[in-house]
Formats: sequence, C-alpha cells, structure tokens
Amino acid sequence: MDNFFFNIGDSIRDSVNDAIRYLVINYADGFEQFSGFFITILVTIERALRWFPEPLLIALIMALAFIASRRWLLCLGVGLGMYLIGCLGLWDQSLQTIAIMLVSMLIAIVIGLPLGILTARSNRFRTVLSPVLDLMQTIPSFVYLIPAAMLFGLGKMPAILATVIYATPPLIRLVDLGIRGVDKEVVEASRAFGATRWQVLTRVQIPLALPSIMQGINQTMMMALAMVVVASMIGARGLGETVLLGLQRNDAGQGLLGGIAIVILAIVFDRITQAAGRRAQAHHQS
Amino acid sequence: MFPTIRSLLLGTLASFSIFSYANEPQCDIDRPIVFAGFDWDSITFHNSVARYILEHGYGCATDEIPGSTIPLFNGMSRGNIDIAMEIWLQSVDELWREMEADGIAKTIGINVDDAKQAFFIPRYLVEGENAPAPDLKSVADLPRYAQLFADQEDPDKGRFYNCILGWSCEKTNTAKLYAYGLDKDFVNFRPGSGNAVASAVESAILRQKPILFYYWTPSWLIGKFSDELIILEEPAYDEAIWSNLLAATDKDADLTKVESATAYPDSQLAIGVTTAFAQSAPQTIEFLSRYHTSSEIVSEALADMRNNDTRDEAIAKRFLEKYPDLWIQWVSPEVATRINESL
Repeated sequence: MDNFFFNIGDSIRDSVNDAIRYLVINYADGFEQFSGFFITILVTIERALRWFPEPLLIALIMALAFIASRRWLLCLGVGLGMYLIGCLGLWDQSLQTIAIMLVSMLIAIVIGLPLGILTARSNRFRTVLSPVLDLMQTIPSFVYLIPAAMLFGLGKMPAILATVIYATPPLIRLVDLGIRGVDKEVVEASRAFGATRWQVLTRVQIPLALPSIMQGINQTMMMALAMVVVASMIGARGLGETVLLGLQRNDAGQGLLGGIAIVILAIVFDRITQAAGRRAQAHHQS
Repeated sequence: MFPTIRSLLLGTLASFSIFSYANEPQCDIDRPIVFAGFDWDSITFHNSVARYILEHGYGCATDEIPGSTIPLFNGMSRGNIDIAMEIWLQSVDELWREMEADGIAKTIGINVDDAKQAFFIPRYLVEGENAPAPDLKSVADLPRYAQLFADQEDPDKGRFYNCILGWSCEKTNTAKLYAYGLDKDFVNFRPGSGNAVASAVESAILRQKPILFYYWTPSWLIGKFSDELIILEEPAYDEAIWSNLLAATDKDADLTKVESATAYPDSQLAIGVTTAFAQSAPQTIEFLSRYHTSSEIVSEALADMRNNDTRDEAIAKRFLEKYPDLWIQWVSPEVATRINESL
C-alpha cells in the first residue's frame, strides 16, 4: 500500500524548512525592523491607555458607548463592566490586551476593507480569495506562529500577525456581502444621474453597506479577543497570559478570572460596535 | 483491473493477521497502554522508544495522549494515563509527592540522572576577534551588558528569555533575577511554550545575534547547538541557599524578596506509573524500572530528530540500532531477540 500514495510529504517538509532557514539568515533583521514600526504604534497606544487615570478611562469608554448608542443603560453597563475588570485585579493586563486588539483591528481594516470591496466587484477575485480565507481561518495558528516568531522575534508582533490572519476574513466576507446586498436599482439610478464608479462606491455602496461593514469590524474584534490565549503562547502579555498561567499551574480560579475579563471586554466592545452599526443603519433608513 | 484490486484486498487482510503468529508474546494487559505526551521534546523520544519496545518486544498495544503537565497528571489521577516517562522531580515536587502520598501513582525508576538547567548565551558573544562581550562570564556581569540583549518592546532594558510561563522553572528563574539584581536591567520575558523559546534561540544563532535565555538538557536545542552555546557562571550550588530559594517559589511567597541564589543542581528525571497499572502489568514495570538513559544520549537523539524522519517508529529504530548495548540491559533475552528481528 505504501506505493499507492506518492510521497510528497518529505520533500515539502524539507523545502519549507530550508526556505525558513534561508529567510531567517538573510531577512530576519529586516523583518524585525519592520515589526519595530508596529511595535512602536502598539507601545504608544499601550502607554497612552496606561497614562489615563483609571476613572477617566472608564468615563471615556462610557462616553464612547453613549455616542455610539445614545442609551444610558448600555453606557452604564459598559462602565460597570470595565470597573469590574479593575476589581478582578486585571486592569493592566486588560489594557495590554486592548492595545493588541486595537492594532490588530486597524491592520485588519486596512487590509480587509479594500479586499472586501474588490471581492464584491469581481466574481473571479472572489473565487480566488475564498479558499485563501478558508485557510486563514482554519489553519492551526502554531503552524505559522513558530516560523513567524523566528522572523519577527518573540512577543507582540507574531501575536498581532496571528490575530490579523485569524480576524481579517470575517471583515472581508461581510464587506463583500454588504456591498453585494446594495439594491441594484439604487446603483443603476445613481449611474443614470452621471455618478462615476468611485462616486457610486463611496457615496452609495459603502454608506448603504455600512451596517454590514460595522458587523464585520465587530466580528474582527471578537476574533481578536478570542486569539489572546494563543498570543500569550508566544510571549504577548495581557489577559491571555493570566489564563495560560492558570492552566499551566492547575489554578482553575485564576484561569476563570482571566476568562471572565476577556468575556467582559468582548461584551463591552461588542455592544459598542453593534450599537454604532445599528445607528448607522437607522441613519440611512431615515 | 480485477486482479489488482483482489491482491490489494488480500494484502490488507494479511496485514491484519499478524495475531496468528505462533510465538506471539503475551502483553500484561489487554488494552492499549497509555503514555503521557508532555509538551517538551525529549518526551517524544522516550515515548517512541518505550512504545516501540513494548509493541515489538512484549506484543502490547500502546497509545499516547498529548498535553501539558497539569492536565496529564490529572489524567493519571483519573486512570486515563498509565505511564509518564519523564517526571522532573524537583520541579513538580509538590504535585507528584501528593499523588504518591495518595497512593495514586509511584516512581518506578530514574530515566536520566544528569539533567541540567542553566542560563545560556551564544559562544560568539564572548569568543572571537569581534566578540561584543569578551568579559561576559557570569550572571554578575550581566547588568553591564543589558544593552546587548535589548528588548525591542522595551528598548532600555535587556530581554531575558525565561522558562515557560507557569512552569516551576519560571518561578525559580524569576527569583534568581531578583537575587542577582537583574530585575532592574532586564525584562523577565516569559514565553508560553517551549517551541517559542527554541525558535527565538535558533533564529538568533542562525543570524549570530545576541540572546540570553534559560534552557535545559536533555533537549534538541542544546543537543543541536551544544558547540555554539556556553553556560553563564552562577554561584556554585549550595543546598541551604537552594532550599531557601525553592521555599520562596512556593505558592504565595514574595519572589522579589529572594536575596541569594545558586546554580541549578543536576536534576533527576523519573519514570512514574499509576499504582493500578503497576499492579496489573508486572512485565512492563520490570522493563520500565530498568529504563535508563543520559542527558547526552537524549540531547543527541533529539538534535538528530530535527534533521531526520520524525515518525515515532523511525526515532525509536535509530536509537535501538545505535545503542544495542544499552537497551539490551532493560529487557529479557527473548524480548531482545524479538526487537532485533523487528529492526
């Protein structure tokens, strides 16, 4: 039976290993400089978050929730959630996690938005990209994390990379879906009024697809939070570290504390972005 | 077409019929023997060798459950796992002693008795014409060289790659950082997995970059790069200081208050089984209690594993072929014959 399957496993394994070795020897310094750029952004965000006195930061997040939802109850709940994280003794870790989430989300938006628009415009591009997105969402992250750690160095950069790879696909898919869902007659009408393709895209399609795009950003955030434990495996600090520590020391209590804090963060950011999305929708229907 | 399919089918059937062998050995136990697949590399080697010997020499079926230490020890307590081939007695002291005291598990042999733990730096930092740190010999010199090991995320400090987050060596090393006064100049970087540190070290060595890290033997990393690495000197091992240090790493003590530390002593890596398994599988226990390797043999085999076929059976075969005089002491002559026939 051994001869039935042509053995390509060994040669793939060897050539991948050689390629990684080659990349590390020749380009890892460059990769590290490249990651230095993102780490500077990350560290700045983190320092800024830490610079705020805790009550002020909670107030700011509450204000954000209010602007997004115009609902006092949600605003209050968000404030309470953030306060609770502080009570769990995980304030600093949460800020580190938020910083990683924000940077990953920004990168995901920069990559995901144009790609989503492209997939909405071209069926062929969508056919090509679709399996790539499947791969990004299902491949076990350690498969690329270890080579990434060799190239970028351990710490926050490979964590951001893993998060971006995992969290961008839903944004691309939802942008695609949102733009495709825009009523064809509306598009045709705007064309008839002499709008250029760019005008149709920016003035009609994107605004009408906004709820869907917001949903995509929301999903990206949720997935970024889901990646924090994996990120901590390669040395990114934050709530993931708390959970991992609990697991590795047989300290279920600490694991739960970290888990609860992640859930609270998820709920807070979910509600804020959801509310923003809903208001965007309402705005366009009125 | 028809004959080809027929012969394929027959071949498949034939491969199932190995049980009809006349002189078939009798395994102690009529279910697969389950090994703990801890998440460090030497366990892959020991499990492969022990499983190969049990399968081909004793006619046993074996299996392995992968995971990290705590969940796997819990699995042993519940009886889901029979054998742990490498227990770092010093590190998991409390938990393992508890399991022994409760009569759940017992130590039946010493696998390796010269396992080492230390702080490593690459040799090219110290030796050679343009070596950036010719005077870096011991941990006491480290504060002067913090810039050499600068941490990208916190550029004013050096980065010390500690042991894996949550392992007891991580606490011990953290206490050492304070004892040696390194906490001000170095970031205590605690990765979440062994692979992560190893990849950082391999990447640094390939590029001849500075790196300061804790690691242990037996491991593929030290086996592969033994010529490129040197151990930083620490104050000589002293039992009194050491037990103070270990006491400080106990649950709630304050690690920052530790004032002195010494080098790690050589560690013993034990083989442990559940008591229930020990009672029902005397042959296996006899074999396992004689199973004994050394840090050097294992590190070398592990480095070898990086460059060769890593299927369990291939790992075991390479070892069995290379050290016939060693493993023959672990088993009876009939078992040895059967294993030799299978190679």
